[in-house]
Amino acid sequence: MDENPGLSDQYRKASPWPIFIALGLPVSEIGLVFDIFPLAVGGLLLFCGCIAGILLESNYAKTLWGPVLTMIAILVAFGAALLVADGYTEIGLVTRAYAVFASAIIMSAGLVAGKLFVPKQQASV
Amino acid sequence: MEINAQIALTVFMGVLLVAVAAWLTRIEDWRSYSSTAGGVVSQGERSEYIEQEKPAGLIRWLTTVDHKDIGILYGIYGLTAFAVGGLMVVLMRVELATPSTTLVGPALYNSLMTSHGITMLFLFGTPIIAAFSNYLIPLIIGADDMAFPRINAIAFWLLPPSALMIWAGFFAGPLGLGFEAPQTAWTLYTPLSTGSAGGSLDPAGGAGIDLMLLGLHLSGVAATMGAINFIATIFTQRDENVTWANLDIFSWTILTQSGLILFAFPLLGSALLMLLADRNFGTSFFLADGGNLLWQHLFWFFGHPEVYILVLPMMGIVSYVLPRFAGRKLFGFKFVVYSTLAIGVLSFGVWAHHMFATGMDPRLRASFMAVSMAIAIPSAVKTFNWITTLWNGRIRLTTPMLFCIGFVSNFIIGGVTGVFLASIPVDLVLHDTYYVVGHFHYIVMGAIAFAGFAGIYYWFPLVTGRMYQATLGKAHFWLSFIGTNITFFAMILLGYGGMPRRYATYLPQFTSLNVIATVGAMILFVGQIIFVWNLVNSWYAGKRVESGDPWDLKRDGVHTVEWQWFDRKIETAITDGGEEEQNAVTDGGEPIDKSENN
Repeated sequence: MDENPGLSDQYRKASPWPIFIALGLPVSEIGLVFDIFPLAVGGLLLFCGCIAGILLESNYAKTLWGPVLTMIAILVAFGAALLVADGYTEIGLVTRAYAVFASAIIMSAGLVAGKLFVPKQQASV
Repeated sequence: MEINAQIALTVFMGVLLVAVAAWLTRIEDWRSYSSTAGGVVSQGERSEYIEQEKPAGLIRWLTTVDHKDIGILYGIYGLTAFAVGGLMVVLMRVELATPSTTLVGPALYNSLMTSHGITMLFLFGTPIIAAFSNYLIPLIIGADDMAFPRINAIAFWLLPPSALMIWAGFFAGPLGLGFEAPQTAWTLYTPLSTGSAGGSLDPAGGAGIDLMLLGLHLSGVAATMGAINFIATIFTQRDENVTWANLDIFSWTILTQSGLILFAFPLLGSALLMLLADRNFGTSFFLADGGNLLWQHLFWFFGHPEVYILVLPMMGIVSYVLPRFAGRKLFGFKFVVYSTLAIGVLSFGVWAHHMFATGMDPRLRASFMAVSMAIAIPSAVKTFNWITTLWNGRIRLTTPMLFCIGFVSNFIIGGVTGVFLASIPVDLVLHDTYYVVGHFHYIVMGAIAFAGFAGIYYWFPLVTGRMYQATLGKAHFWLSFIGTNITFFAMILLGYGGMPRRYATYLPQFTSLNVIATVGAMILFVGQIIFVWNLVNSWYAGKRVESGDPWDLKRDGVHTVEWQWFDRKIETAITDGGEEEQNAVTDGGEPIDKSENN
């Protein structure tokens, strides 16, 4: 933490993440409930990505990768649950499940890109 | 959805995400370089200490995790929602000035009524309490901030999207989105709210109901996050001098309220999701036999504690502010705390008194009647303690004090009319009449909003560093007090006459009392315009407070912690060369200056 002062070191009373978490949650909810693919994917990425960010900023996580991996795992499990639930209702849940998987895939791509291209010193805070 | 719209949305979401990522990267730069960039701290200005900890300008308000800033944001949000909900009801009352429909059609009336209720309870009532508690609790209990400052910010920022979703139906029509504002009333009773035509095609609002359910759910999530935060803060962040024995009354009420939220709101959230699933995902929680009664049980198990979620902290504000202007300490402090806890516990055992007319088991009804009557006891204990605090006190009729006394007065009328409603035989006669509307508006407007006004005026100098215009404050009080009593007493009489609630039209024999109620509502409306003007104008141009004790509390030895903090803040500002302006006058502080009447 000392080597890379975070926002909270400079501005102890500010954090950029809460507003985006609060935006990501309703956008993803609207996307999933009304089956609007782009909103569901975008909202989930915003929500999950910012949760990973805020965990890192508040020192609940030491690197970004742990939280991102956890988010991917939760998304995959949620998408799988939607696929299973699809068999029990007449309402089509498949596209919603695909939206959740798409978010997980994009986050995974981000994770790989981050691992490959972000210099180590900045990657680990 | 059309392919073009899908592509447009995809592009929009992509651009939004890239923009967010780019902005966050800029912050990365900003935090890397700002330590050497200088210019952040402007020396000699009174806000220096703030600028060391927060960025400047609009970004400060979007990124703040400071409990005081978040308190101010909650306050502005709550008052904006109060204005929206108020304007909705002005339209409705104008419509009700005549027996037939003239200005507003039945569908719009139903939509306005639904949104008015939800706006006032969820978007004004709960947030305005959070405004006081966020700003004050950490100061009063000697905490540096809330236990989870970032959670605190998330809880607040969930509310603006929640409001937009609840009101979405009003924008959807003009935008051609194909759905309407919900017409279900705030209680969302099934089968009306499950959608008679199936899914989201029902005539009661269509997708507008789904959006409202999501919005309500979000506001519930926000309230729960806030409650957990307050419980953690009060339990773990207290200064070592602040023990359970000397914890102030406002913190006690917020702690109790947070406990109620913790048990009530998650249940509402579950019930809302079940309803959403019934409407959209083929489940049948409320569609099977008994489903309608199940909804009412779930809803009111949340709904009645919600009343106490709103009123307990407001009672806390009255218990905190009223003694300051009576020149003495709160009479029977311990018993006021015990009453708060008792109301908190009992509030979970009274919910079915909203359902006496549903045909439920009479033996169950009797038990709910007994507990509902019992809750009058701790409420009366509080009322008598407030009155006894005033007894032989050195009473100063400042604006906050007037609102506190108005609270007690209206609370007695609202409470006593409620005791009658708790009695099954009386309830069966008055159920679904305007008597009920009159009763609960005496509580939510006459008591809850009045205590909110008392708090806003009392702590206005603390938050803004300026004094409001006292004469306008008193005009606001008298117009509100007279308007409240004219409007809602007329409703109680209308209820005795048998006028049913929730209709845009009525029989001609109810015209006179309805006209009186509308006149009362207009008086209230004028009062609130004065309030908004006074607040905005005084915030920008009010006289600066230069004393750390604008209410002259030291004289009675009740210069409480938050004012001591304010005192230190002012001392620091003066040392730093704060602006020279004319001394502020106190509203009732002594001696009373003539310029108070500006």
